[in-house]
Amino acid sequence: MSRRVRRKGAQSKDKVISQTYSEISYSETSHLETKRELDWTSLPDDTVLQLFSYLNYRDRANLASTCKTFRVLGSSPCLWNSLDLRAHKCDPSIASSLASRCSKLQKLRFRGSDAANAIMNLQARDLREISGDFCRDITDATLSVMAARHEALESLQIGPDFCEKISSDAIKAVGLCCPRLKRLRISGVREIDGDAINALANCCKQLGEIGFMDCVNVDEAALGNLMSVRFLSVAGTRNMKWSSVSLFLGKLPNLVGVDVSRTDINSTAVSRLLSSAQRLKVLCALNCPILEEEGNYGVYNVKGKLFIALFTDIFKGLASLFADITREERNVFWDWRNSKNVDKDLNDVMNWLEWVLSHSLLRVAESNPPGLDSFWLSQGATLLLSLMQSLQEDVQERAATGLATFVVIDDENATVDRGRAEAVMRDGGIHLLLDLARSCREGVQSEAAKAIANLSVNAKVAKAVAEEGGISILANLARSMNRLVAEEAAGGLWNLSVGQEHKGAIADVGGVKALVDLIFKWPSGGDGVLERAAGALANLAADDKCSIEVAMAGGVHALVLLARSCKFDGVQEQAARALANLAAHGDSNGNNAAVGQEAGALEALVQLTRSPHEGVRQEAAGALWNLSFDDRNREAIAAAGGVEALVALAQNCSNASQGLQERAAGALWGLSVSEANSIAIGREGGVAPLIALACSDAEDVHETAAGALWNLAFNPGNALRIVEEGGVPALVHLCSSSVSKMARFMAALTLAYMFDGRMDEVALVGPSSEGISKSVSLDSARRMALKHIEEFVLTFSDPQTFLAAAASSAPTSLAHVAEAARIQEAGHLRCSGAEIGRFVAMLRNSSSTLRACAAFALLQFTIPGGRHAMHHASLLQKAGAARILRAAAAAATAPIEAKIFAKIVLRNLEHHQVEALL
Amino acid sequence: MVIKHMIEDDCADNGIRVPNVRGEILSLVVAYCNKHGPVQNDSEDNSRSDELKTYDADFVKVDQATLFHLILAANFLNIKSLLDLTCQTVGDMMKGKTTEEIRKMFNIKNDLTPEEEEEGLIWKNLVVASTPEGEEEFRGENQWSYEIW
Repeated sequence: MSRRVRRKGAQSKDKVISQTYSEISYSETSHLETKRELDWTSLPDDTVLQLFSYLNYRDRANLASTCKTFRVLGSSPCLWNSLDLRAHKCDPSIASSLASRCSKLQKLRFRGSDAANAIMNLQARDLREISGDFCRDITDATLSVMAARHEALESLQIGPDFCEKISSDAIKAVGLCCPRLKRLRISGVREIDGDAINALANCCKQLGEIGFMDCVNVDEAALGNLMSVRFLSVAGTRNMKWSSVSLFLGKLPNLVGVDVSRTDINSTAVSRLLSSAQRLKVLCALNCPILEEEGNYGVYNVKGKLFIALFTDIFKGLASLFADITREERNVFWDWRNSKNVDKDLNDVMNWLEWVLSHSLLRVAESNPPGLDSFWLSQGATLLLSLMQSLQEDVQERAATGLATFVVIDDENATVDRGRAEAVMRDGGIHLLLDLARSCREGVQSEAAKAIANLSVNAKVAKAVAEEGGISILANLARSMNRLVAEEAAGGLWNLSVGQEHKGAIADVGGVKALVDLIFKWPSGGDGVLERAAGALANLAADDKCSIEVAMAGGVHALVLLARSCKFDGVQEQAARALANLAAHGDSNGNNAAVGQEAGALEALVQLTRSPHEGVRQEAAGALWNLSFDDRNREAIAAAGGVEALVALAQNCSNASQGLQERAAGALWGLSVSEANSIAIGREGGVAPLIALACSDAEDVHETAAGALWNLAFNPGNALRIVEEGGVPALVHLCSSSVSKMARFMAALTLAYMFDGRMDEVALVGPSSEGISKSVSLDSARRMALKHIEEFVLTFSDPQTFLAAAASSAPTSLAHVAEAARIQEAGHLRCSGAEIGRFVAMLRNSSSTLRACAAFALLQFTIPGGRHAMHHASLLQKAGAARILRAAAAAATAPIEAKIFAKIVLRNLEHHQVEALL
Repeated sequence: MVIKHMIEDDCADNGIRVPNVRGEILSLVVAYCNKHGPVQNDSEDNSRSDELKTYDADFVKVDQATLFHLILAANFLNIKSLLDLTCQTVGDMMKGKTTEEIRKMFNIKNDLTPEEEEEGLIWKNLVVASTPEGEEEFRGENQWSYEIW
């Protein structure tokens, strides 16, 4: 609390500083000018246009709508020569409404097949460049119309997603309609026949670059007719007849660069191509399995021609093109970009190479073939970083996506390869990525944020990201109006928030608020952004201070909103986990109660325990467990049908993950704190599944189940059920052999409740004939239980120290015993007055074992330093237990453990009394 | 560099007039140029560029009136880097703001006819409020770590 107040103070202080600063410069600047008299619309047009150029479309639209002057300037064609619609929904009517701005549009990027259909409505007849991605469903009709409506088209790029519905017809239409076409790149077409290629060859005399990537069939012979083509990529294309390809391509007079990456080309075809194509300068063959198997690398050394493969030194090869300007091979891209006197041909080669390299590296990173570790470490990572500094926006983006992808070596288990991540970091990648994330282009922002997010799974990288200021950059991006950007930024914050040391930093830069706002901004915005936001909030809420910030930012409402109304499993899971973590701070802040008071929260969580998705059930049960810590929540959960739902969950979790088993048992433990719930749980059939869980080998599971059974056993009816369901052997087993002291302790206490005599009253009510056999079997169960309770207590007593303590009763010897007997985690257990009263009564039980056990339990509950020790001491005081304890400590017939433990409890009580007085 | 010469001239002659630019603003511009001027552009000193970044960031922490006049001065004196810096600063102030917020912040009077405003609204709503489509399908490269309390 104090920390928050202090930061508030610091903030307002900042403001004051800048205010005084501005006041000073104010009085300096002018005596008469107030803000009111500044006329921003009087700025020269050029400067206003420059201002506009720094804004994205949304901001431009907002500025343009302020007044006439800006409206006119805002529609200047120079501001609208390029449009990136990728982050926007684009249907025909939206596109039509944009048409008034698009008369001079030159460059367009869009996403999705629907948008592909709609862009004709932009009526941008002057378009020179169209680039579309995620167009799996684009049809021949759409592509043909696109070509027919944009006759001035010079560059057309559809991919990298496969366009399986596209046939030769559409390619032919492109050739016939767009005579000025200079570049055509298309991916995943099933067949590109001779007709289509010949149409391109005959109509598009300036066609200099072709990319038929990942196609199934391409007519090799027709490729030989593309006289104007300088750069050709058939990367990933199958069924190429390589022997004839080199023959046909060899005839092309202008061919400078060929990309055959990810194909089954062999060394014979490569060397034939290298020797037959006269002007060929670069042959790129990344990840061609046959070449890599064949070895025989010598045949690729052809003078004046650069051969690029995973097994060649790519930087060295590229540097050979720039022998005059580059000193350091690794800097070759940088040197090239900064050199002013590179001839145009070489520039073209490099721009094309950047594109094909980024394309193939991303593809290779996606398929993640084995055996490429050394490639990635020795040059792949550096290449991606070099490409990320490209002047071509889509190369930058693809390189960043490549970085995000290649570090993940196992999708299933979210494994980020340490070596690869650290290689990126070593090469200055974090700095570069953060720079990109800070750029004003949203496409690059989102890819950079994605890469930062994935890399940050590695703790070292996460640390570097934080140190380089990445947290505030990501928090800024999370406020983006572009959902794709915000989504990746939230992912970054999610991964960073894993580190305890980063949580506070995220909160300090307003990240918590930004994340909560994301949920309000896109309440139905798809699973991606919501899952990441909720996941990040969940991690943040695990920290006490941050959890307060989450609540202050409206996080409780937002997360409950998700738990109630979001239909995506992933989002539900993270929202429930976040609510669980918010409620995990028990009495140290008010969030627990706040969650319960949020309308519909508990009902929604109860409902989520019935989800078909295991993760959702687990987190919902975890949330209910934590929430049941609060008295009112506990009753409200029961009222919302929580008992039935959680018993059902426990009954059906025998094959579930340990996490789910633990939380199902835990939630029942939490609810069973009140006896009414206990009775309901027993009635609903909760005893049997809890016994089953108590038999689990997993420590966390059986410990939690033991806790629940302990609470249930307080009620004699439940105690009887436990016996009937075969719980005694299970508990006896736990009590004697669990590796967890807590599990043994709680199992012993369960057995003590069961056999301290109260159950007999219930057990004997029943048909008398059954009564006898029941009491017989009860007797043997009781004997077994008491025997193990006794053994359990004895494991905490060392005869020597006991004798010493009994003889001297000096404080130090008692302290020794107490220390040896102490079960650390038992300090977290909180007992009600009734429970404490039951142990006090047990001090006078006829069984000496139970007397010792009761004294042992009270010792645990009152050890100074325990979280609830004071509470327990005052309950004991109220119950007048001191007299009984003294009697127990002095009893002649009692076992020595009972006496010593009772003495220690008395000592503990004195300690608390003194403390209370102080 | 242009301004560097101008300033040198200015100092030498002590008499060149720079109309339309107030003295206080000019002194800020001179300070800016002195900071940016002396080192040649091709020096690739990282610490220097970081230093300049910090300087720039502090330099534009001024009130609106000063910023306004700095833009005018930078435009008039043709100092590209200063114009970029100041326009970027104003641009940053506008980012993410609604039309109404921008009007308020920069004291811009709404003189649009209802029709014009309507047109603007359509355009804005279409671009602003349109939700991105949900069909994008990332290739599972996003991996998240979980934390259990």
